[in-house]
Amino acid sequence: MFKSLRAHPLARPLAIFLGCFALLALADRGAGNVLSSATAFSMLETFATGALVALGLGLAMMIREFDLSVAGVFSLAGCLMALIGPEDPRLAFAAALAAGVLVGAAQGLIIVRLRLSSVGVTLGGLLTCVGLAYVLTENRSLPYDNLEATMAVTRRLWGVFSLRSLVSVAIVALVAIVFGATRWGREVIAMGSDRRAATTAGVPVAGLLVAIFAFSGFCAALSGAMLTMALATAAASGLSDVIPPAAAAAILGGVSLAGGTGRPLGIALGVLTLGLLRAGLNALGAPPFINDVALGAILLAVGVLDGPEIARRLAAFGGRG
Amino acid sequence: MTQTLVSLEGVSKAFGPIVALRDVSLAVDAGEIRGLCGENGAGKSTLMKVLMGLVRPDSGVIRIGGEARAIRNPRHAQSLGLGLVAQELSLAPRLSIVDNIWLGGEATPLIYRMGKLRARARAALDALGAQDLDLDQPVLDLPIGQRQIVEIARLLARDARVLILDEPTATLSDVEIERLMGILQGLRAHGHAIIYISHRLGEVFDLCDSVTVLRNGAHVSTGPAADQTRESLIEAMLGRSFGDMYPPRGQGVTQEGGVAIKGLTVPGAVQNLSLFAPKGRITAIAGQIGSGASLANRALAGLEPAARGAVLVDGKALTLGSAPASAADNVLFVSDDRAVEGLFPDLSCLDNLIAADLRAHAVAGVLYWARARALGARIARQVGLNEARLPSRASTLSGGNQQKLLFGRALARATPGVLLMNEPTRGVDVGARADIYRLMRDLCARGWTLIMTTSELEEVVGMADLVYTMYRGRLVARREGGEIELTAILADITHPVAKDAAA
Repeated sequence: MFKSLRAHPLARPLAIFLGCFALLALADRGAGNVLSSATAFSMLETFATGALVALGLGLAMMIREFDLSVAGVFSLAGCLMALIGPEDPRLAFAAALAAGVLVGAAQGLIIVRLRLSSVGVTLGGLLTCVGLAYVLTENRSLPYDNLEATMAVTRRLWGVFSLRSLVSVAIVALVAIVFGATRWGREVIAMGSDRRAATTAGVPVAGLLVAIFAFSGFCAALSGAMLTMALATAAASGLSDVIPPAAAAAILGGVSLAGGTGRPLGIALGVLTLGLLRAGLNALGAPPFINDVALGAILLAVGVLDGPEIARRLAAFGGRG
Repeated sequence: MTQTLVSLEGVSKAFGPIVALRDVSLAVDAGEIRGLCGENGAGKSTLMKVLMGLVRPDSGVIRIGGEARAIRNPRHAQSLGLGLVAQELSLAPRLSIVDNIWLGGEATPLIYRMGKLRARARAALDALGAQDLDLDQPVLDLPIGQRQIVEIARLLARDARVLILDEPTATLSDVEIERLMGILQGLRAHGHAIIYISHRLGEVFDLCDSVTVLRNGAHVSTGPAADQTRESLIEAMLGRSFGDMYPPRGQGVTQEGGVAIKGLTVPGAVQNLSLFAPKGRITAIAGQIGSGASLANRALAGLEPAARGAVLVDGKALTLGSAPASAADNVLFVSDDRAVEGLFPDLSCLDNLIAADLRAHAVAGVLYWARARALGARIARQVGLNEARLPSRASTLSGGNQQKLLFGRALARATPGVLLMNEPTRGVDVGARADIYRLMRDLCARGWTLIMTTSELEEVVGMADLVYTMYRGRLVARREGGEIELTAILADITHPVAKDAAA
C-alpha cells in the first residue's frame, strides 16, 4: 500500500508542496502572515501567470522534447494584445491566440518533417517571436487602456481567485481530465518513454508532437494576453523571463527531461509550490533573492535524487538493510 | 483449400550503397508457421520493417489477402491485420496492461478503459492462457516472458491475422519458451499465419511448417521444414560449405602472457567469472543474449562501472570501471553497436582511424597530419580498404568497411595489446566477413590477445581457439580443440547440464 502510494506520479510533487507549506507555516510561528487569504491570492496570481506556460513546456518535456519558444510566444501575444488595442479585446485575444497556435504548430511540423531537434527549432522560434515583438512595438512600452477589462481579470473572486487564475485553473483541470481519461494521455507517456516502441505500437507520434507544440503555443499566448490585460501594459522586454520558472515547475511536478514521466496535475502542483514560496517568503518579509536561493536548493535536491547514481546506491542500501 | 494471407512479390530496398533486399518474393498461408532464416545482415529485419510500414520498399508489391497495398506506417499495417512482436518489445513500461494492449490501435476510441474494450483485452489474454495477469498491473512489474504475452495479446485484440515474431525466444527462459510454442501452435490452429524469425535452428525445426532462407538480401530457398536438415539449412544461409569461410587457425604459435580474469562480477549480469585468454589466440565467450558474455567484455573495456574482480593483462593488474584506463593499458574494444559506440559517422575515415589514439599522432599536442596520413594509408592497405576512401565520411562506408576501420584502430597501435570484440561481424556482408576473420588472425600473429563474444555459433566454431560458455551469468564449460563443436556449445548455452562451475 505504502509502496503504491509512493510510486504514484503525484506523490512527490504533493510532498514537496506540503513540505514547503509546513516549513513556511513553521517559520511564521502562528503570526498569520503565511496562512492568509492574501498569501493564497498572491500564490494563485503566480499560478495564473506561470501555470499555462509550464503546462505547455511540461507536455513537451513529457514527450522528450523541449519548447524554448514559450517565452517568445508569451511576449509576442502580450504585445499583440496591446497593439491591436483595447477597443476590440476579442479580436486582439483571437489574434494573440492564433499567433501562438500557428507558431507552435509550425515549429512542430518543422521538427517532424525535417527531423530536427526541438531545442534548436524552438530557440529559433523564441528569437523570431521576441524580435517580432520588438519590431511591432518599436521597443516601446505600450499601454493597454481598457480599465474595464483590467478590472475584470484582476478583481478578487471568492477571496483568493481572479478571473485570470480561474481560467488557468480551468484549463489545467480540463487537460488533467483529458490526460487521465483518454487515449491521448497514455500515448504521451508511451511516446516519451520510448518513441520507437510507441511508433511500432501504432501511436501517431508525428501528429501528437505537432499537437503538443501547438497546444504549448496556445497556452503561452493565452497567458501572455491575460497578463497584458492584468498589467494594463505590454513591452517586448518585460515579458520574456518565463522559461526558468516554467521549467522549474515542470521538474518539481515530476516531469523528467528524459521524458515519459509526470502528470498535468503534478505540473500544476509545481507551479503552486513556486507561487507559495514566493508569496510565503514575501509574507515573512524575506528579501526577494531568498526566493531564488530556496527554489535553487529544492531543484538541486530533486535533480540529485533523480540521478541514477543515487537511485543505485539507495537500492543497494535498501537491499543490504 | 488454403488461403494466402500475405505475399511479397519482387520487393527490393537499398539504403544508400547497401542493398538490403533484392527482388524478394514469398507468400504465407493461413494456418502456416513460416520460419525465416538467414545470417545477420541477410535482410530479415528489413523484410519485417517493410511489412510493418517502417521502411518503404524501392520496388515490388505487397499483397494482403490478395490485394496490393502500400503500407504507410505501423498503424496502417495493423489495420491490415499485420502484427509484429519485435526483439525489443514495444510496450510502455509505466502503463498498465490494458493501456498497453490498446496503445496506438487505429480503432481505439478516445476513452477506452471501460466496458467492451476492457473485456476484449481480457479475452485476448485469456485466449493465451494468461488468466493470471491483472489488466491494471503496470507492465514494469512483469517478467520478460509475460511482457511478450501482453504484446501478442495486443495483436490478437486488434484482430491481427499475420503475426511476425523476431527472435522471440532470445531472452526467454525454458519454461517461457515452451509456453510460447504452445501459444503459437494454438494460433496456427485458429488460422493465423505466423512468420517466425529465429537463429535457433532447433526451434525452427520443432515449430515451423516451412522455411525461407535469405542471404545477402536475396531469397535463397523456400520449402517444407521437413525436407531440410540442420546442415543443409546452414549451408543455404552461409552460401558455402562451412569450412571455406574461415582462415586456418594459427599453428603452434605459443606466446607467453594473456588476460587472466578472476572472479569477475557485474551485479545482475555476470557472477564470479574466471577464465584465461592466452596471447596470440582467439578466445570466445559464448552465450545467449542475457548470459552476461557481452557484458563481461564490456566490463574488461571499462564500460561497466559496477564491475568487480581481478583482471591481469600480461601479469599487470587492469583497473576496472574506467574506459580511459583500459584504453591506456592497450585494451581496445570493438562494440556491437558500431553506430553509437564505435564510429564518428560524420568524421572522415582517417579521423576515425586515429581518433582513439590522438596522442600518438601529435607533436607537443599539435596533430602531425603528414604522419597520420601516412599511417592511415598503411592501415587502409592492411585492412583491405580503398585508400581513396580515407578522406570521405565514415557514414558513407558499408557495414563491413566500417568494421574494418575499427579493427584498423588496433592495427595502428605500435604495441600489441588486447582486443575485445562484441559481435565482430554484425551487419557485415558475407564478403567482408572473410576479410574481418583474416584480420583477426593477423592480429593474433602480431601478438594481440583477442576476446570475442557473438550470437552466431558458427562464428565461434569457425574462429575460436578456446571457448568459454556461459549461461545466465555463470561459466558453464571451457572447450578447446576438438571440443569446439556446434551442438555441444549450443547445449551449454541453452540447457547446461547441472553442474556448479564455481565449485
